Amino acid sequence: MQPRLTSEVKTMNDPIDPQQNPYEPELGSFEEMSEQDSDTVAKTGTTTVGVSTEDGVVIGTDRRASLGGRFVSNKNVTKVEQIHPTAALTLVGSVGGAQSFIRTLRSESNLYDSRRGEPMSIHALATLAGNFARGGPFIAINPILGGVDDDGSHVYSIDPAGGVMQDDYTVTGSGMQLAHGALEGEYDPELSIEEAEVLTARAVQAATERDTGSGNGLVTATVTEDGVEMAEYDAATDLL
Amino acid sequence: MQGNQQQQAYDRGITIFSPDGRLYQVEYAREAVKRGSASVGIRTPDGVVLAADRQTRSPLIEEESIEKIHEADEHVGIASAGHVADARQLVDFARRNAQVERLRYDEQIGIEALSKEVTDHIQQYTQTGGARPFGVALLLGGIEGGEPRLFEADPSGTPYEWQAVAIGGGREDIQAHLEEEYTPEMDLDGGVTLALESLAVGTDELEAGSVDIATVDTETEQLRSLSSEEVADYAAEADLGGEDDE
Repeated sequence: MQPRLTSEVKTMNDPIDPQQNPYEPELGSFEEMSEQDSDTVAKTGTTTVGVSTEDGVVIGTDRRASLGGRFVSNKNVTKVEQIHPTAALTLVGSVGGAQSFIRTLRSESNLYDSRRGEPMSIHALATLAGNFARGGPFIAINPILGGVDDDGSHVYSIDPAGGVMQDDYTVTGSGMQLAHGALEGEYDPELSIEEAEVLTARAVQAATERDTGSGNGLVTATVTEDGVEMAEYDAATDLL
Repeated sequence: MQGNQQQQAYDRGITIFSPDGRLYQVEYAREAVKRGSASVGIRTPDGVVLAADRQTRSPLIEEESIEKIHEADEHVGIASAGHVADARQLVDFARRNAQVERLRYDEQIGIEALSKEVTDHIQQYTQTGGARPFGVALLLGGIEGGEPRLFEADPSGTPYEWQAVAIGGGREDIQAHLEEEYTPEMDLDGGVTLALESLAVGTDELEAGSVDIATVDTETEQLRSLSSEEVADYAAEADLGGEDDE
């Protein structure tokens, strides 16, 4: 048997490996979502808080899932998840959108890490998250990204249109004005991690008291260069 | 006779192994690299030096039009040996990937990551029917996280990291010279001089005017092409016509 010598010819217009679209995940793809879909998705109320200090970042979230703030559909939701060896992201807005957003970012971060032998910087992760928020079907998400890398501690808020803003501390969700009130004037970049945890709890507690979309306790994620530590409290006051 | 025919077949089909496990087309592509004039890369603690000999066929050609060192991004240079047209395709692939990194992560691409993206791309041309391997080897040099890095990409698509390396015609002699003269502590000036000397070892008629040199230093982290006057100065210092040392 003679080996076959000819096979289909590749043309220059048919690249062997097409370039990566920077606004889409490498694995999987975003589904199209219509305007009507966006009205029917389950949206949580939520208060999520991120506070950066010299030693790390503290993220705090309430545990309530509600239907438009009028009915509590779940009293034990973990709205912050680790997506990177030293970074965590909060779920705010549409539950399905936020969960798929987190899975996507986590797999991208893992892929980057195993290919390059070092984790993504937090700025790179925030940029990627902004690109996905802008290019994807995540119409109603507004997460906080907190993480630590060689350059120190970082807190970013990511808006549904892909806006990426860094700050010392930030709040997203329906309780944001109440939580901000608690943070304003109290924040100090030289806070210890423990003090930042207390401040975060106070901010979530302020929202819990008056925002119908927030409540049922507190979950914290404390991010330091050693990793992400999660803790759950039945009431935000447990930490005060 | 049939055996002879079969042997020919193994070296025609790019995706076909020979019975002893070789990919002849890839080996032939390496021969194409050897036919090109040499390029040298040297890594020093202060930065990376890329130097290429652009042999000119005629004094009437515009030397600038012979492209041997390319900018992939502001902090990465690529030197080539072999088919220049093939190199241009790979350089453009590298340029686009460098910009994808900025779009995707808002960061400069690392030299190692870029080199591996390029070599993965090259590899696919050793395994795809109807395609031909790239007849070119590349040296990718630049700064990553403040550190100078230097990689070689060969036609098989294997990435190698080097302290100092030569590709192209006369590679063995040049590499031997580098192995003898290279020291990890040498400064960037010393690297440029050694690069020039090494290129001279690989060929009988090296003219300073036809050498293209670019550096990426750790201070500016920018690719910089040396002017022909600067190259001439280095050449005079290295006393080019003579052998070794200095």
